[in-house]
Amino acid sequence: MRRVPIAERANWRDRAAQAGFDFHTIDGDRYWDESVFYAFSLEQIESDIEAPTEELHAMAIDMLDGIVGSEEQLSRLAIPEPFWDLVAHSWRTRQPHLYGRMDLAYSGRAPAKLLELNYDTPTSLFEAAFFQWQWLDDQQGEGRLPAAADQFNSIYESLVEAFATLAPSLPRPFHFSAVRDSTEDRGTVNYLRDCAIQAGIDCGLLDIEDIGISADGRFTDLEDRVIGTLFKLYPLEDLFREEFGRYLADADTLLLEPPWKSVLSNKGILPLLWEKHEGHPNLLAARFDPGGEDLPRGWVRKPLHSREGANIEMHHEDGRRERTDGPYRGPGILQALHPLVEFGGRFPLVGSWVVGDRACGIGIREDRSAITRDSARFVPHAILDEDVGVLIA
Amino acid sequence: MKRSRTAALVLMSAAPLLLTACTEETTREGLYTSIDECAGQVGDLAACEEAFDKARREAELSAPRYASFDECVAEYGTNRCTARRDSNGHGYFIPLMTGYLMAQMFRGDQRAGLSGSPAFRDGNGNWKRPAPGSGGVYSNGVARTMLAISAEPNRAPTVKRGGFGSSGSHRSAGS
Repeated sequence: MRRVPIAERANWRDRAAQAGFDFHTIDGDRYWDESVFYAFSLEQIESDIEAPTEELHAMAIDMLDGIVGSEEQLSRLAIPEPFWDLVAHSWRTRQPHLYGRMDLAYSGRAPAKLLELNYDTPTSLFEAAFFQWQWLDDQQGEGRLPAAADQFNSIYESLVEAFATLAPSLPRPFHFSAVRDSTEDRGTVNYLRDCAIQAGIDCGLLDIEDIGISADGRFTDLEDRVIGTLFKLYPLEDLFREEFGRYLADADTLLLEPPWKSVLSNKGILPLLWEKHEGHPNLLAARFDPGGEDLPRGWVRKPLHSREGANIEMHHEDGRRERTDGPYRGPGILQALHPLVEFGGRFPLVGSWVVGDRACGIGIREDRSAITRDSARFVPHAILDEDVGVLIA
Repeated sequence: MKRSRTAALVLMSAAPLLLTACTEETTREGLYTSIDECAGQVGDLAACEEAFDKARREAELSAPRYASFDECVAEYGTNRCTARRDSNGHGYFIPLMTGYLMAQMFRGDQRAGLSGSPAFRDGNGNWKRPAPGSGGVYSNGVARTMLAISAEPNRAPTVKRGGFGSSGSHRSAGS
């Protein structure tokens, strides 16, 4: 694993505009950064990332039977009691899932460590599946990367295949939904919808705020049609506690991701995985935060529900402390601190994508701090044979 | 190769070829009992044949399997079941595909997607289609069940909107 400078494509902004990628620069700061890329060997991708991702995914899925049947476990995960039946039913009837992203700390020199499962509302999908793919294709065309270069990225093919597989069983109408004012989230659902349409599924877009409720408690779209399937890029735990949440159990709308994902997208899955698989090379020690005590050296505190690196507290072995602000409160977990590898002040985090049950690609975001926040930049990657020199124009 | 062979966009793409003032997305989805019926309604024989072929291949994989002929007949009726044998030589029975679903998505005049999937009419005259099963991108996480096909979406007057979305105050609700 190397961080390699490379000339940017002269026309990358045009390429972004052509593809509808309108959040490559956020608040004046670069988000998409192709002035560098990460180079991996095929062995690193297959043995250190792909295989552990599939194994961790299977381990996580394997936890579900035990958790959804246990009031104690559901309580530890702070899933509200009125939703226990909904979560359990959605798993027992195997309501379909589409995708997830696990965040891995990986240096190229030691086993990847699972930091968390973003299994409910993962973003950075379009960047990974499409724009990074096009970057490699263009750079090969320009001769800056060898024709033999590859990329761990069959995310697009896997998404179209997953949609085609699910198509017959998704009740219609089928809507993709995100919050109205988030350019990034809209970009993600636009891309997912694009893939669904390529799989032959008729589907629409609906702002989360525009979802309606009928007198008999069913969710409706703007034409008063009862929503058959709702893909929601919106946290399940927020749906649960908001005003319309009480209709979820009886509304008869299929949710993507399904309610059982609230178990896996919860940081509480990390201590539960550790309890069952203590010592696994890809897991970090973790336990539920008893609360009240000072964070010991070498540990990180994370709320059960926290996104974009918010409300994280880190106590390094050398005594340094880092803390991020944010809106998240409530119970949390402690996880053994495993610092991200550093390349000249940049800390790359490997987002490993799972579509259906297949590990199918990665996207790398790097921040200037050990905690990856929404200030992180997306940097493309390539698989290069170690003995093939990199041409730099 | 570890990457997709291609990475296409159909709606997000602003490629000049597709950028015409009157470009609109339209979808046709229907249940047909024969290629002729499909072609008669849709007017595109090639698409109807392509969807039929996809559905027929899918039917072999996803039709519900019964250990005995009688079990199959009890569900699907006398003349609608047939015998099959798996690679290990074990026999089983499946209902015959009695119809197929075709969905086409267009952007302007250009077809952006086509799917075909099998449908089965049970002994009571109700249409059913298989839920997705294992294989491909899914392991054994999704159950194989038969789902009812409903022709028209339900409608219900909306009494209120805005009951979701109050937590979305930051840049992204995603992660």
